[in-house]
Formats: sequence, structure tokens, C-alpha cells
Amino acid sequence: MEHIGLTHYLIVAAVLFCCGIFTMATKRNAIGILIGVELVLNSTGINLVAFDRYMGPGRLDGQIVAIFMIVLAAAETALAVGICINVYKNIATVDVDMASQLRG
Amino acid sequence: MTIMLAQSDAWAGVDVTRHLFLFSPMLTLICTMLAVVACPIIVGRSAKTIGTVAVLGIIASFILALRVAGEVASGGASGLSTQPGEGLLLVDNLSIAFQLILLVFMGGVTWLWWMGSSDSEENAPEFFILLIGSAVGMALMVSTSNLLMIALAIETASLPSYAMVGFDKRDRRGAEASLKYLIFGAISAAIMLYGISLLYGLSGSLSVAGVAHYCIQSLASGHDLVITLVALMCVLAGIGFKVSAVPFHFWCPDAFEGAKVEVTTWLSVASKAAALILLARLVMVFCAGIAAPEAIGILSPLAWGIGIMAAITCTVGNFAAYVQTSAKRLLAYSSIAHAGYMLMAVAIFVHPHSADSQGGISALLTYIAIYMFMNLGAFGVVAMIVWDTGNDNLSSFTGLLRRAPMLAIPMIICLVSLVGLPPFAGFIGKWWILIALGQLGSTLGWFLVIVAVFNTLISLYYYMRIVVKMALREDGQPVVAFPLGGMALVNFCAVALLVMFVFAQPLKTTSDRFTRNIFHATVEETAVVDASATQPIENVQR
Repeated sequence: MEHIGLTHYLIVAAVLFCCGIFTMATKRNAIGILIGVELVLNSTGINLVAFDRYMGPGRLDGQIVAIFMIVLAAAETALAVGICINVYKNIATVDVDMASQLRG
Repeated sequence: MTIMLAQSDAWAGVDVTRHLFLFSPMLTLICTMLAVVACPIIVGRSAKTIGTVAVLGIIASFILALRVAGEVASGGASGLSTQPGEGLLLVDNLSIAFQLILLVFMGGVTWLWWMGSSDSEENAPEFFILLIGSAVGMALMVSTSNLLMIALAIETASLPSYAMVGFDKRDRRGAEASLKYLIFGAISAAIMLYGISLLYGLSGSLSVAGVAHYCIQSLASGHDLVITLVALMCVLAGIGFKVSAVPFHFWCPDAFEGAKVEVTTWLSVASKAAALILLARLVMVFCAGIAAPEAIGILSPLAWGIGIMAAITCTVGNFAAYVQTSAKRLLAYSSIAHAGYMLMAVAIFVHPHSADSQGGISALLTYIAIYMFMNLGAFGVVAMIVWDTGNDNLSSFTGLLRRAPMLAIPMIICLVSLVGLPPFAGFIGKWWILIALGQLGSTLGWFLVIVAVFNTLISLYYYMRIVVKMALREDGQPVVAFPLGGMALVNFCAVALLVMFVFAQPLKTTSDRFTRNIFHATVEETAVVDASATQPIENVQR
């Protein structure tokens, strides 16, 4: 049985990153796009923690960054949901294709 | 408390009081935010009261920034750390110069807000919390060379901006603009963070100096080259979004058109300038990581990457501006084009040991200072037209020279300056960027010179279209009513552009002074960074 190493974690993170990018590219709903953003952010978290674990003892930088990123993601989500509610109040949908008054 | 901190091991050798003084402009802004929060509880939500508190905070911060500028003139310092390059924050001439420009500009935007919104605004405290919050984020962006802090600073600057764009809850266009801004911002921030995690994993360091060291080795040896370049591109995407460089510019026209004019003015200069200075600082740290001046060619793929991005950005911005009928949207594309010109100055990769190593960054700083006055003036006139006529369509400008000569003349001056024609300061800004590019003497330098000149020519048409409309056409619209203070602001900007043209040499000298002794890019600091593993702990210069 093969030992689980850094590469395995990085592959999981890369797959998650691609899923996130795919979600952002295909979803038309603003909330769906934000879920894609969360997937990418979480793949970043996996990367950081895995690097810390496998690159030598006593490394903490990556884990600290990961914690900061969780906070960032929470702040961004709070704001994003607020803006989505505002858009929904104004145009009764959060479909980004419907937000088409500004163009040119 | 200070004494206790100074006595514990981690703080040994750090003069905490001095370091807090170095960061006092930012701390003052944060205190102003708190004061604005407390104000409604203590003295009420009157917009004028809140505005006064904010202005006092901005002035206090400006005075402190001037004093810090004297303190760091001979060299920068890394925040609350005895090891250069280890602190998350840093203060040097460049970051202080940007903070001074930012505070002046924030004063101008507040003045514009006071003229237009202070009578009717119900949510003044919230507006100023967001405005000052994004200013703190931008000040942080230019005061760091650490990947974690870069990500945090960009988010601190972005999140309040999204909310500011959709500030008027009943405005459908504002809501739509903030949604688009938010989605583009969230995507590029997420991609940038992924790039940062890769760079951290590859180089084992969060400090940009360490990352630069790794990247240079990778570029030189070809080891892990693809993944390194992908990670760098991810980071560039995050910064490019803030600069609104093509292809990350799609948010810019929509957000600018949907937002209130004050907010548009703020975003058009402040967020772009902060991101440009951040990128310029990264470039300088990368250049400082090169061992010998002759070896700078290793970084040429990065220089070409930024250079081509700059060329595409200003060409796309100028051509897209042609078909616009909304003044805000036209100026949004114009700001994309100007971001392109400024990116050209960032694409100048010069080793810190070689002669005239600061030409590019000095030209960039001058350009930002001039660009601030041009945009404040142009958007100020647009704002007053919007307040009077209710829309920002270009047809509202017809015959403005008769309807409001005191608005039309500064508008013409600002537009001519935006084209980059003498006798106004816009010419000076462009001239020095071209000189810096020419002194580079490389293919990239001359390529960018040609692109910039070509773009100046094509931009002439759409700026002059407005001038012709204002001066020569006539359709009998009524005289424009405008607040006197607003008229004073735009005329002040116009006079400033003329004065800056006349005193071009002192301006350049000041700019040179503020770009000297930049942290990480000066000779002494570079030596310390290169040997950071073995170097004994040194005290930050007092």
C-alpha cells in the first residue's frame, strides 16, 4: 500500500481548484458562483496546511495563513450575501445574466 | 504595557513606541473609523457632523504622515521586527509618499461628497466607515512585502469598495454594479490566494524577498518553471484586477457607471494607484534579488508579461472609450487606458545597483500625483452636471462653455491633460514615463514607447469630442446651477495641473527623493535579505 504524501494532498487541492473554476464558469446564479469561490479558497487551505505538514517540522506560517483565509472567506461571504439580497430586492433575481442594465 | 512588550524576548531590540509612530497615519485612520462609529451614539447622525469628524481625522493623519516622511527619509523600517524583511508591515519613502497622495485625494473626495450629498445623505456614518476602511486597505497594500499581508490588504481595500458601489439601496444600477464588482473581485481574490499558496509551498517563505529568491533560481535553472510561472500569473491576476488591467477589467466600466460619482472618483484613482505601487514594489524586490546588474535578463519573461499586459490594457481602454455615450463610462475606459500607461512604468525592471535604477518608479509616482488632479477635476465636473441635470449622458455637456464657463474651462483643461498635451501636467507625467522607457534601451522599452505614443494619438479623438461638444455645439439647454465649493474644487485642480507643468522639475526632484532608499531594494537591505539565514539579528536603524 502506497504511503500518503504531499503529492496526494496537492492533487486533491488541484481537483478542488478546478471544480471551483468550473463552477464559476458555468453557474449563472450569483450564489452558485460564490460557492465556486469557496471551493477555490478551500483548495488553497488544503495546499497551505499540507505544505506545512510535509516541508519540515515546526512550520506554522501556512497554517496561520489558512486561518486568516477562513476569516477572509467568512467576511467576503457575509458581504456577498448582503449584496445578493440587495440585488434580489431590486430586480427579483440573482441570475447574473439578468443583471444587464449596465453594458457597452 | 509598552515596557512589558519591550522586555519579553520576542520584542527584544524593538523600539515599540517608534514603530507605532511610524504606523501612526494608518492607526489614525483606524481611530477615525471608530470615531465615526461612535459619533451617531454621542452627537447624532447628522451628515455634516460625521463629515467634520472624518475630515479632522484625515488632516491629523496627513500631518502625522508628513512627520513620518521626515523620519524614514534616509531608509525604511520593517514593522515591529528587528530582522529586516521579517515584519509583516514596512514603512519607507514610497509607502509614505503614496499615503500622502491618498490622504490628499481622500480630502478631495470628501469635499465632493460634502457638496453633493451632505444635505440629503442619511447614512453618512456608514459611508465614511467604508471610505476610510478602503483607504486603510490601500495604505496597507503599499506598506508590505509579505504575501499574507498583500492578500489581507487587497481584501481590506476591496470589501468596502463593493459595498460603496452599491451604497444607495434603492438604486437598481448601483445594486447591479456592486454584484458585478463583487463577483469579479471574489474570483480574482480566490485565484490569487491559490497562487500565494503555491508560491509559499515552492519557496517555503511568505516574504516576497524569499519568493523572489526562489523564482529567480527557478527561472535561471528551469526547475519547476511551469508551476512557478502559473503561481506568479495567479498572483498577477489578483493585482491586475485591482489595477483593472486587461483581461481583468470587465468590472471597471460597470462599477464606475453604477456607483455614485464620489465613489467612482475614489475608485478610479485610489484603488488603481495602490495596486500599481504594490506591483512596482514586487518588481523592485524581484530585481533586488538578482545578484549582478548584468543578470537582470533572467527576469525578462516577467518584464515582457507586464509590458504586454500594459500595451493591451491601454489600447483596449482607448478603443472602447470611442463608442461610449455616458461620461462616467467614458472616463472609466479612460482610467483603464491610464492604468495601462502606468503599468508601462512598472514593466521597467532595473537592477538597484545600476545607474538610474529609480527612473520608472519615480515616473510612476509623479504620474499618480498628476493623474489624481486630472481625475478629481474631470469627475468633479461630471458630478456637478449629474446633480443638476440628473444624468451623465454626453449630450448633457453640449454648450457647457456658455451654460457654465466656470465648469467648462477646468473640464477642458483636465481633458487636454488626460490626453497628455502641453501646457498641462498630463504631458509631464507621460513624458517621464517615456523617458524612463527609452533609457531602458531594450526592445521592450522601445515597443512600449511606440504603443504609448500611438495610444495618445487615438485617445485625442474621444477626449476632444467632448471639448468640441462643450465649446462649439449649442442646443439651447438651460444654464447649469452648481455649488460654489464644487466649482472651487475643479478650478483648483485645473490650476494645480498648470502649476505642476510650470514647476515640473521640482516635482520630479520631490518624486526622486520619495523613491530613494526603498526597503528591500536598496543595497544594504538586499545584502541582509540575501544572507537572512545566517545574518545575526540587527537592530532597525534609529
